[in-house]
Amino acid sequence: MSDKIQAKARELLESGQVSCFVGYEEGTRGRVRPAFVYDAQDAERLIWDDRCTHNLTVYLHQFQGSGREEPPQVGIIVKPCDSRALNVLLHEGQVTRDSVYVVGVTCNGVRVNGQPQDRCQRCAERVPLVYDLVLGGVPKTVGREDYADVDRLEGLSPRERLAFWMREFDRCIRCYACRQACPACYCSECVAEQLDPAWMSIAIDLPQKQFFHVMRAYHLAGRCVGCDACEDACPMDIPLSLLNRKIAREVETLFDYRPGQDATTPPPLATFDKEESIPL
Amino acid sequence: MTTDFEPQIVGFLCRWCSYPGADLAGTSRITYPPSLRVIRVPCSGRVDPLFVLKAFQDGADGVMVLGCHPGDCHYVEGNYHARRRYALMHRLLEYVGVESDRLLVDWVSAAEGGRFAEVTTEFTTQVRELGPWGGGRVE
Repeated sequence: MSDKIQAKARELLESGQVSCFVGYEEGTRGRVRPAFVYDAQDAERLIWDDRCTHNLTVYLHQFQGSGREEPPQVGIIVKPCDSRALNVLLHEGQVTRDSVYVVGVTCNGVRVNGQPQDRCQRCAERVPLVYDLVLGGVPKTVGREDYADVDRLEGLSPRERLAFWMREFDRCIRCYACRQACPACYCSECVAEQLDPAWMSIAIDLPQKQFFHVMRAYHLAGRCVGCDACEDACPMDIPLSLLNRKIAREVETLFDYRPGQDATTPPPLATFDKEESIPL
Repeated sequence: MTTDFEPQIVGFLCRWCSYPGADLAGTSRITYPPSLRVIRVPCSGRVDPLFVLKAFQDGADGVMVLGCHPGDCHYVEGNYHARRRYALMHRLLEYVGVESDRLLVDWVSAAEGGRFAEVTTEFTTQVRELGPWGGGRVE
């Protein structure tokens, strides 16, 4: 599998079809890290296995340039969840389809520190939705979404839920790693750092942290593809996917919409239906 | 819970329907609770869900967003956007522990002075029963 990716990356770089290939390479302490390959000789660094958890589409922004000139061509590896994020970026005009060469990989689920990820066990898509070339065998397993964890939290009283979230949010150190890791969080000026108007103070107190997390989750409403890059990036283990998945479920029940399925359907909060009746 | 608790309620009122509705309630001498702090906005579609979050953050016990009835928006489609946004925001806030009765999204036209007073009174009673919100500061 890794050799097929290396061969493709080498071919793309040698032919000049792409100026950079974004993939995974062996990191330190048995972990995998994102790799940016600019030279065909370096393609041998690239690997693919079940430790490749990062969503690489987050790096596509930096190749889009100022918009005045043609963006450079980039090759990128996407897993099925990453491909949904790519669809979101394509729809929002953040990436143009012909500026990326998408190497899709079929996926049986990834592991972090040897542990299978919850999101992979719930994932029903094992083949990328958008690609120029797809690699990997026929996927063996298909997951099923159950929302059991969201249900459990919903079963609590509002005060208990508040206490639960406050306990979780209290650990937040406002490092914004969740935001940086998210492909859909690309505002050049984030509300969290905006000074005029200053929505949020920079104080690390609990109400500010709560404000930040609710704001972050809500800004991704109808756009979050559930790749859990935010949760993986969080150094304090805040269960951000519990927030994201709650919204994902509501978006699906209210608007019958799943983010990232294609690059043309607008997300529910960007459109409306005059005749709809939504329980407020 | 203290019986003499008087909630602080922030109301985002649309400039074309609900604000004149509130005005009509005033000029018609219909009484409604003094707990409401009105903020006039151009349209319910202008009310960024962050405004609501910020109001709760800064100690509001309840937040109302009132706009034109669907189909009556001065800007044609602002309240349709608001309807979708708040359907989601309402559920998200409830999920993070803000009781759903603390947020009200409703439609009041410029001719509905009486209804404005009714909606406000009912909402105030509702929030009063819930008690103070406390800005999320729980132990």
